[in-house]
Amino acid sequence: MSIVQFEKVTRVYTSGEHELKALDQVSFTLDEGKFVVILGPSGAGKSTLLNLLGGLDSPTDGTITVNGRDISTLSDNELADYRAATVGFVFQFYNLIPTLTVYENVELVSTISPDAIDAKQMIAEVGLTDHLHNFPSELSGGEQQRVSIARALAKNPKILLCDEPTGALDSDTGVMVLKLLLSMAKNYGKTIVIVTHNQSIAKMADVVIRVKNGKIRSIAEQENPMSADEVEW
Amino acid sequence: MLIRKLFRTAWSYKAQFISMVIMITLGMGMFLGFNMEWKSIEVDTGKFFEDTNYADYRLYSEKGFTTDDLDKISDIDGVDAATRYLSVNLDIKGEKNKSLALDVSENYTVSTFIVTDGEEYDKNGDGFWLSDKFAAANDYELGDTLTLEFQGTEITGKIVGLIKAGEHMICVADKNQMMPDYSTYGYAYISPKKLRETVKTKLRDNIIAELEKSGVPKEMLDESVNTLMTDETINEALDKVYAQVNLLSDLSKETLEDSVKNALGRTIMVTSKDDHVAYKESNGEAEEGKTMGSVLPVLFLLIAILTMVTTMHRIATKEKTQIGTLKALGFKNRRILRHYTSYGLFIGLVGTALGVALGYAVCKAIMSEGGMMGTYFDMPDWGAAIPEFCYPVMAATIILLTLISYLSVRSQLKGTAADALRPYTPKKMRKTLLERFRFWDKLHFGTKWNIRDLSRHKSRSAMTLFGIIGCMVLMVGGLGMRDTLTGFLDLLDNDISNYTTKVNLIDDADLEKSKELYKELGGDWESLTGISLDGDTIALDIVHNPNDLFNVIDEDNNRIELSDEGVYLCLRLKDRAEVGDEIEFSPYGSKDTYTAKVIGYNRSIMTESVTMTDAFADKLGIDYSISSIYTDKKTNEIASNDLISGKQDKAQLMDSFNSFVQIMDSMVIILVIAAVILGIVVLYNLGVMSYVERSRELATLKVLGFRNRAIGKLLISQNIWLTFIGVIIGLPAGVGVLYWLLTALAGEYEMKLMLGPLTYCVSILLTFGVSLLVGLMVARKNKKIDMVEALKCAE
Repeated sequence: MSIVQFEKVTRVYTSGEHELKALDQVSFTLDEGKFVVILGPSGAGKSTLLNLLGGLDSPTDGTITVNGRDISTLSDNELADYRAATVGFVFQFYNLIPTLTVYENVELVSTISPDAIDAKQMIAEVGLTDHLHNFPSELSGGEQQRVSIARALAKNPKILLCDEPTGALDSDTGVMVLKLLLSMAKNYGKTIVIVTHNQSIAKMADVVIRVKNGKIRSIAEQENPMSADEVEW
Repeated sequence: MLIRKLFRTAWSYKAQFISMVIMITLGMGMFLGFNMEWKSIEVDTGKFFEDTNYADYRLYSEKGFTTDDLDKISDIDGVDAATRYLSVNLDIKGEKNKSLALDVSENYTVSTFIVTDGEEYDKNGDGFWLSDKFAAANDYELGDTLTLEFQGTEITGKIVGLIKAGEHMICVADKNQMMPDYSTYGYAYISPKKLRETVKTKLRDNIIAELEKSGVPKEMLDESVNTLMTDETINEALDKVYAQVNLLSDLSKETLEDSVKNALGRTIMVTSKDDHVAYKESNGEAEEGKTMGSVLPVLFLLIAILTMVTTMHRIATKEKTQIGTLKALGFKNRRILRHYTSYGLFIGLVGTALGVALGYAVCKAIMSEGGMMGTYFDMPDWGAAIPEFCYPVMAATIILLTLISYLSVRSQLKGTAADALRPYTPKKMRKTLLERFRFWDKLHFGTKWNIRDLSRHKSRSAMTLFGIIGCMVLMVGGLGMRDTLTGFLDLLDNDISNYTTKVNLIDDADLEKSKELYKELGGDWESLTGISLDGDTIALDIVHNPNDLFNVIDEDNNRIELSDEGVYLCLRLKDRAEVGDEIEFSPYGSKDTYTAKVIGYNRSIMTESVTMTDAFADKLGIDYSISSIYTDKKTNEIASNDLISGKQDKAQLMDSFNSFVQIMDSMVIILVIAAVILGIVVLYNLGVMSYVERSRELATLKVLGFRNRAIGKLLISQNIWLTFIGVIIGLPAGVGVLYWLLTALAGEYEMKLMLGPLTYCVSILLTFGVSLLVGLMVARKNKKIDMVEALKCAE
């Protein structure tokens, strides 16, 4: 069953007299519970795609349907509610609130998500129970990213969106974080979309969407994706 | 090239740069304005006093001074000039409720005037030299004829000149009149020759009346009068009229008193210019200005500099990567330092220049002919003068600002170019003290977030708090001053004075006759004379007030039922003697010394005084004469009488205070506006800073699904908390500053600190209003947060 549907989506950025078409008539559908990797070089439009899907941005043209709801015409507040209930984000630089502890960072989303999962349970699942009351600045990069994953999943979203989630980590930590991300998404039955330029991650995906110059070059379904341990990093 | 960068950087931090310039302008402007005000008072009045030979000392004698007396006084070593002088209040014939102080300076070396229009002074002149302000207020012109009534004798003449006199720079008729009212009271000078003519006429009238009384036939009158009207009798009469000698001298009061006593062989009441209204009040105004200038404007300047410290530090840290880039490009540290230091210099120079302009405007708003003091002082020159210490303060401010930016940048320049290129890392988060308590876990995340943010950015929070406290102090101080003044007038109007008319009697009015008049008018009476207490001139207030029309009040403003067993000291003399102690004093012009027990303290709102009942004065055997009768009768119901020198309607007297209240109002408005601007600028500047610093966190919250409103609430609630704390500290601080100001000003008036509920409400509401307004202004930016941009960079 498809959970995401992009139909002729165009996003144009204007700056003065200049127009930049970041996405040009993009159409695709994603099925529920899949692990999707969007691959492409810098400036290809992959982040724009993720931002549109995440409700951080609205398309100039076309429609985006998520879980049966058209999100391309939502107001600011409706988009905020959409982000609170439907999508979870994991960022390259973790984006934790520096003034809140690990527990508070995860707990934070329970105040806005209608269907939130217990924060302590999520923290336990990412293996950070010992760091419950630490501030982000007291954690390593990998640990911070695990908090970020716990926070994203604590909202109990339909889709997990990850923007270069291993981009700021060394490769060992990156693999560990990826493994955790995938296993947790699987356990909770989430659709997961990762934007990256790292080809190795693509090998683990169910679906690989390649983007270039604002257009989709190819959409490939992989019948037997590799596990993180099998991939050469 | 770097200069171009300076302007572009300034533009990119325009909110910060503009607010820093505004803060420095405001700080410097208020500092200079208030300090220029008192300095200008000193300089301008000083010059006017010098130009009009304002008397250093005034000698009073009931018997008057003879020319012989004057010669002896003039011969005293250290007396530079002396003149016999007359100043008496007279009604203008044909005008209701208009009177003039008529002055004569016999040899015109002391207490002279400046002619603004018409004829110069002529010692043989026949006309009046009239106060130009009185003339303008009452449509008198040169050439008009004026007739004054003086105890049945008329003085008539043409107005030959319009003048300003130092003696009457503050032209008030009565010690209870705070502000001049030229529509009812002014002054005029006549020549000694004209005074002599007047005295002659009066003498002739008196002699004729006496002769007629003793039955001298009409045909003999002329001859008898001519025989009796000798130069000697005329001079004798004139001597009595000249009850005052004004002189210029650098001698101390004690020395002069002794020298005069030795020269004349009798004790003479000597008052220095410190006790004379024009000098005393202008000095008081200058002192008041100094006090004001030393507190509130300094507060402004301090806040401005502290804001600068915080803001410059933030700008420097935000510019860290640029500093690293310049360093990596090969710019020497010194050049980079010089570049960034010039930011402080630029702000300092622009802020100070604008501050001088603002200071000048503030000074002019108070100290100019059309300004607030214009209704108080009557003088020709209204220049603005800057106290000398302000120049080093200006220079020091500019240097300090430059130094602040120098130090802020220097800390970013430490280490290698690579270090400098690495973005600024904020301080590590530590647990706050509050987290040790159980309730912490129960707090909403927004509350925790805000508390930690405040403790993480201590200097920013402290500055915000300081700004709010400053705003609050200024408002409470300003509005409280007004409340206190209004309370003071209320006190005068309702608690002290319940009479309808105050009837002033002539100096040394006969006691028996005065008492007869009092019986006729009813009410209360008081006698005011000068006494010397421990060498200081103080008023002795002898009161007879059985009818509550004129009250003596205690510290809590309740009427004291005066006891006949001792004296009451006014609160300002409280430290001179305890209740039960005895004080020793001697009335001026008398060799007698009296001892009396202190039985209480009273609030004397104007003069420093010792108060006693007439019964106690009689018991001690003090000679006195009634100065004023307070009656329920209206002015027109009181028949003219030789004893009466003037009648004052209470309502009219209270009206004269209105302009005083207006002056206060303008000051209060300046202060409140300044407080609001200060609050807005400080809070907006720091609010924007806080917003920029937290923009990444705010973007994260937005991405997570928080609505704009919820995020805005977070931002505003932090402001509101700080405002709450600021108000709690600022309110007592404001009251404290006000109390301090009142204590400092107590030399002039005795005011009880009063704060109306409205002042509390307005101060608190305005402060919260400012905080909320700024919070909303900052929170509005929230909508524009670019989630995508903010999330890209690492912290």
